[in-house]
Amino acid sequence: MQKSSHLKTIRLIALLGGIASAAFFTSPVAAQELRVATSYKLMTLDPQFADLNENTSLLSHIYERLVYQDERLNPVPGLALSWKRLSDTQWQFKLRENVRFHDRSPFTADDVVYSLERVRSVLKPPSGSFQSYTQSIKAVRATDPLTVLIETTASAPALPLALSSIFIMPHPSSGFRSTEELNSAAVPPIGTGPYKFASWQSGERLKLTRNDDYWGGKPAWSEVDFRVMESPAARVAALTTGEVDLADSLPARDVATLKQRGVTVVSASAARSNFLQFDVDRDPLPGVTDKAGKPIPNPFKDKRVREALSVATDRPLLSDKILLGYGTAAAQLFPNGLPGTSAKLVATPPDYEKAKALLAEAGLSDGFNVVLAGPAGRYPGDAESLQAIAQNWARIGVRAQPVVAPFSVFATKRSAGEYPLWYGGCSGDSVSLCLDTVLASPNAERKTGANNYGRYRNPAFDDLLMKAQAIEEGPERNAALAAATEFVLADYPIVPLYHFHLIAGYGKHVSAYSVHPRGWTTAMQAVPTGE
Amino acid sequence: MTLFSAVFGRMGQAVVLLFVMSLIGFVGIHAVGNPVFNIVNVETATVEDIQRATIALGLDQPIWRQYLVFAEDLLSGNFGISYVYHLPAFSLVMEKLPATLELAVVAMLLAATLGVLIGLVAGRQPGTRLDRTILRASVFALSIPSFWLSMMLILGGAILAGRFPSGGRGATARLFGSDWSVLTVDGLRHLVLPALALAIPNIALIARLTRAGTIEVEGLDFIRFCRAKGLSPHRILLRHTLPNISVPIVTIIGLQFGGMLAFAVVVETIFAWPGIGKLLIDSIQLLDRPVVMATLTFVSVAFVTLNALVDLFQAVLDPRVRLPRKG
Repeated sequence: MQKSSHLKTIRLIALLGGIASAAFFTSPVAAQELRVATSYKLMTLDPQFADLNENTSLLSHIYERLVYQDERLNPVPGLALSWKRLSDTQWQFKLRENVRFHDRSPFTADDVVYSLERVRSVLKPPSGSFQSYTQSIKAVRATDPLTVLIETTASAPALPLALSSIFIMPHPSSGFRSTEELNSAAVPPIGTGPYKFASWQSGERLKLTRNDDYWGGKPAWSEVDFRVMESPAARVAALTTGEVDLADSLPARDVATLKQRGVTVVSASAARSNFLQFDVDRDPLPGVTDKAGKPIPNPFKDKRVREALSVATDRPLLSDKILLGYGTAAAQLFPNGLPGTSAKLVATPPDYEKAKALLAEAGLSDGFNVVLAGPAGRYPGDAESLQAIAQNWARIGVRAQPVVAPFSVFATKRSAGEYPLWYGGCSGDSVSLCLDTVLASPNAERKTGANNYGRYRNPAFDDLLMKAQAIEEGPERNAALAAATEFVLADYPIVPLYHFHLIAGYGKHVSAYSVHPRGWTTAMQAVPTGE
Repeated sequence: MTLFSAVFGRMGQAVVLLFVMSLIGFVGIHAVGNPVFNIVNVETATVEDIQRATIALGLDQPIWRQYLVFAEDLLSGNFGISYVYHLPAFSLVMEKLPATLELAVVAMLLAATLGVLIGLVAGRQPGTRLDRTILRASVFALSIPSFWLSMMLILGGAILAGRFPSGGRGATARLFGSDWSVLTVDGLRHLVLPALALAIPNIALIARLTRAGTIEVEGLDFIRFCRAKGLSPHRILLRHTLPNISVPIVTIIGLQFGGMLAFAVVVETIFAWPGIGKLLIDSIQLLDRPVVMATLTFVSVAFVTLNALVDLFQAVLDPRVRLPRKG
């Protein structure tokens, strides 16, 4: 009797164990759930807190913008159906009809006014980084429920593009929402976007569900689960084992292995560039000496020296060997073909003889020593590129000493003026922005030159750029921007190196994914299998 | 009397420790770089944006004044607002505590049970083949770096066998207002590999310690007496040997547990396990000083508390510690 009950217990345990282990080793995937491993760590639920892809990429599922940028970076209708310029300083935006927020309240012009006002005058630093997009705005008015009139202080032809960065939030009955309120669970994030907020663990996970009432039609995925994995190895492993359907920012060196394991890899050139920037202002310049170690006058004031270093840089080597083909050799600020780029500027192979001749002309035929600074691990191929460039330059007698540091250390030292020559980068909504921050003369009033740490000044270029920026969005403006770029790069203020590629991979639940040059990772870019 | 002064001495030490730690942490982070460059988008921000953010965070002040402000806030129990997440720093640390706690507890339970068992088995029969195998394996387990061990576990358990997920916490269930992975099957599956990665070196450590203690104690007179009295080897081992070797084992478990809470950085990073160690290393990289300070303070307090607990435990286990005799 006792024995048989023992047996029963054992059987029961075995049965339970079987059930448990069956549940243990199979993870059922909901029909249309998209699981994404992303490098972007969502830092806050306030969509207007910080202008970083980390935040905007994930929040763009919930919130939408008036204007959206397509994969060619052209502005296309978002929450605004159309826009036109009434006068030099007036823009009118017609809003989309029958759009509802996730709480079913209708989207109206008041929400646009609220959102723009919140950015313009309510948010205080450090949370004010969207203010640069609204700085030209003088007043925002709702003329009827579906029309917004924006007055600008001066002519602002690129306003629609600037508004492509700002998320529209629903207006509360009174006052403005604070960042703390939005971060706390008290107010769930409510937007008009294709996916609704489900849950969030700061820096870990964002879960979304489908917004069945989305104005643009039923979104493709029933649920979206973003898992923050900052370590590239973790993203690669999760994609390999099929724990996630999609992963972004994959390292080029892992692409071959991922393909072997049945992962589809897609890539696109990012709307950005990385370059070397000279300090052309100070004299004497720290970190530059002759071969004997004695200080010399700043050599980068001489255009011929800058040209020599540019000519002696082997860009194809960087893009083919260091980035393993997942990079495009650069000769300007954005990849060729995007609006405002010049078809005439293409990267050429190095010409060491020409470089030597240029150095000799500049009276530096013996070469010199220079510190070549850069961040490590911030951009694909950053530290390795500096090593390669130092070897290139050794062939013309310039002894470059690569010095790399973590990004925050590098940035602190760069702004303290400790480097003569460094590796920098620029990205943004348009090439015009990069021309403004990297190459235009530092000017507090015009807010240009923020990234121009070398204090390069070229009044003729500033003029050309200002004229180009006064033209309305379109082919004419793009041609003027391209001409300005050609003009300024003929003076070699920077050495463009490469446009690295954004690499994404997906498994069998996804049939296609389009990489956006702005570097966004969203469920909207992924198409489910079997549709 | 002695207990009283001991407690006070401990607390005094703790306060000094916290002060020194905060000073080192504060100055250290300050020396690394300016956090502003991680908060604004350097590629687009204007000089003014950077300037305004610097002032808003109080980073334009001299370091000693920043420290005074920090210390003042601290006295009112406020660690400040995270630069990066814009949430109160201390609640951010507490939010990550369940993840770390469950990982450390599971790993330590595993390490303590297996370690003691293996150690006893080896210590009972020193010099045999089994003993030598265990000794060699433990040297191996102790000397492999944890990042390599973690990668091998991912390779074996996740990629080749496909049995376990390679990272993340999996599903969680709510209890006492926190999310716990141990309460769901999916969460447990996610827990297995990182817990093993943390446990394996500790199994080896505890096994070696137990083995050495067992060999030492088994040779003592009272054990021989027990044997002469005819007690079963089982009973001798569990009732007489084990209590006598438990003091160093408990000490090492306490210390290692503290280490797991604070510095499981490598394992937490590789397995994308969102715990305190990962928060600490992320915050150091982003120079998020309030969070770094809150984490370091929590870790110091945890260490001091664990040490006190270990002492208390020793008193319970060892009468010689419990009853200090004069002269």
